[in-house]
Amino acid sequence: MNFILEKQALPDLLQTWRANFDVYLPQNLERFTHFMPLAAEGVTVINEPHNTRIPPKALFLPMTETLVKFTRFGGYENAKHEIEPRIVFALRPCDAQAVQLLDTSFLQVKYSDPFWLERREKTITVALGCHEPCDNGFCTTVGYGPFNKADLDAMLTDLGDFYLVETFSEAAETCFNGFANASETICVQALEVQQRAHDQMPVAFETENLKEKLEQNFSSNYWDKVSLSCLGCGVCTFLCPTCFCFDIVDETQRRERVRNWDSCMFRTYSLEASGHNPRPSRVERTRQRLSHKYVYWLDQVNQIGCTGCGRCVRYCPVGLDIRSMLRQAQSLPFEVSHAS
Amino acid sequence: MRANGRSLYTPTPMHVLRAYYESTDRSLKTLELSFDYTEDSQAFFAAFNPGQFCLLSIAGKGESALGVASAAWEGDFVRFTAQNVGSVTSALHKLTAGDAVGMRGPLGNGFPMDGWQGKNLVIIGGGCAFSTLYALTKHVHHENHRDDYGKLTLIYGTRTSGLCMYKHDFAAWHETDDMEIHQAIDVPEENWLHHVGYVPDVIRQVAPSPDNAVAVVCGPPIMTKFTLPALTDLGFTPENIFTSLEKRMKCGLGKCGRCNLGPTYICKDGPVYSLAQLNALPADL
Repeated sequence: MNFILEKQALPDLLQTWRANFDVYLPQNLERFTHFMPLAAEGVTVINEPHNTRIPPKALFLPMTETLVKFTRFGGYENAKHEIEPRIVFALRPCDAQAVQLLDTSFLQVKYSDPFWLERREKTITVALGCHEPCDNGFCTTVGYGPFNKADLDAMLTDLGDFYLVETFSEAAETCFNGFANASETICVQALEVQQRAHDQMPVAFETENLKEKLEQNFSSNYWDKVSLSCLGCGVCTFLCPTCFCFDIVDETQRRERVRNWDSCMFRTYSLEASGHNPRPSRVERTRQRLSHKYVYWLDQVNQIGCTGCGRCVRYCPVGLDIRSMLRQAQSLPFEVSHAS
Repeated sequence: MRANGRSLYTPTPMHVLRAYYESTDRSLKTLELSFDYTEDSQAFFAAFNPGQFCLLSIAGKGESALGVASAAWEGDFVRFTAQNVGSVTSALHKLTAGDAVGMRGPLGNGFPMDGWQGKNLVIIGGGCAFSTLYALTKHVHHENHRDDYGKLTLIYGTRTSGLCMYKHDFAAWHETDDMEIHQAIDVPEENWLHHVGYVPDVIRQVAPSPDNAVAVVCGPPIMTKFTLPALTDLGFTPENIFTSLEKRMKCGLGKCGRCNLGPTYICKDGPVYSLAQLNALPADL
């Protein structure tokens, strides 16, 4: 269904939703925007032409989360989290796509993560398409786009004074109940906006044969070159919407076992008790980060594990740019594989 | 959710049935754990396959991945041998009979027993990595399973005779004519009746036949590194050489990302890989 949502009607609509849902949307926090629950007098800042600093994956995989509680006599209990039905509003299509990619890990048939599953089931995602290209983003390069509709309940297209709302699920339709249906002219107009936005996104690098090149140059000194200025701070992975590695630690005083976001860019991440480390330097760790996104995800689910959100480019303290790293990878030698 | 409504991350309550040192230097300790609840025991043995591992949990210390060192027919318990290296394993070393401990598992794929039926098995172990091979040997050696496999050859090397694990079983196995055993230590010792030298050299000397045979290797990385070429030289094909890998692990479910090896996770898709599979994966070990 396609609806029209006047921009001035938005604050009231969000407040109406609050009656039945926790509404999360980007709000100002220090110098950045951040997904936070809307308060009664909440101010919306959804029109910033960039992404929140911390990706909305944090709404499904919190930075820190209790998994197990310890009972008094050395026993264990499941952790319970009170999760209310939620609407995540104005997340960008790149981040929504990232959540779908993470589903392939957290919702595997044999080992479905109960905490992730509950949050996913109780969440309605209403995305805001990007009608203006953002700095550093490269969603179209990696096969997604500014109006990528994968795994959304609804999508908004900014058409000046109003949004076109496209709904893709019954739950989302209910949310926009009572709004006027959009005419065909408006839908055509929205399509033009979407197409223009798509065309405006620059091609950051060529993806053809990129997987083979990275894969076959596993031992190349290319990795030394691209990791030379890396400080190993881990911000690229911490803020990456598709990075999902976590550590499990025991909080003794709280008598809980918790999981915390972790990063493959840290030395201790893969350090073994014997002292052996499969990835002893930033060279191997950089190789792991890039290979996971541009080789292993493709092997696993045939999708690039990067949605082109641009955060790793924007927040790297030394200006390392994954786009430039991959452009350099394009000149690596490779052989066409005939395996498939 | 698993039996008793526990989540994937909540350990099964167990208690220590027996705990004893495995090596004379007390660096290795064996724990035999029994289940607090019958349903957990049933669920475990319905899923268990030699070569799998579990995460042992000590509340407040964490979890540690250890290979299962017992066969299902041995009884209603699960055996592990832990080397005292980190904070969790040193806590495990302090456990005595009756103590509570948590366990998650069985995890991982285990040995592809079905594909090995009718074949000769060459089992090659080094040091404390022998634990899952011990489970495998116990399984194969049992009268109910013995006829399913051909000749059984066991090659086991340790640094010293004191570090040799499961000494009683080795003593008994030397007495049977059912299997060929080659034990080795790195440096000569008085009264040592078996080989002296490193495992790859012993393999070249013993030269097990690759005809209709499968070689299973589990040992420290340096041993594995030199053993795989020795087997290849003897004529074993990559499809018939198997090894069990290890990396740092946290979740054991293929989610925390730590044991990522190319497109696979060692905890979920391994730990047992054939050399043919490993050759297609990046050397990220």
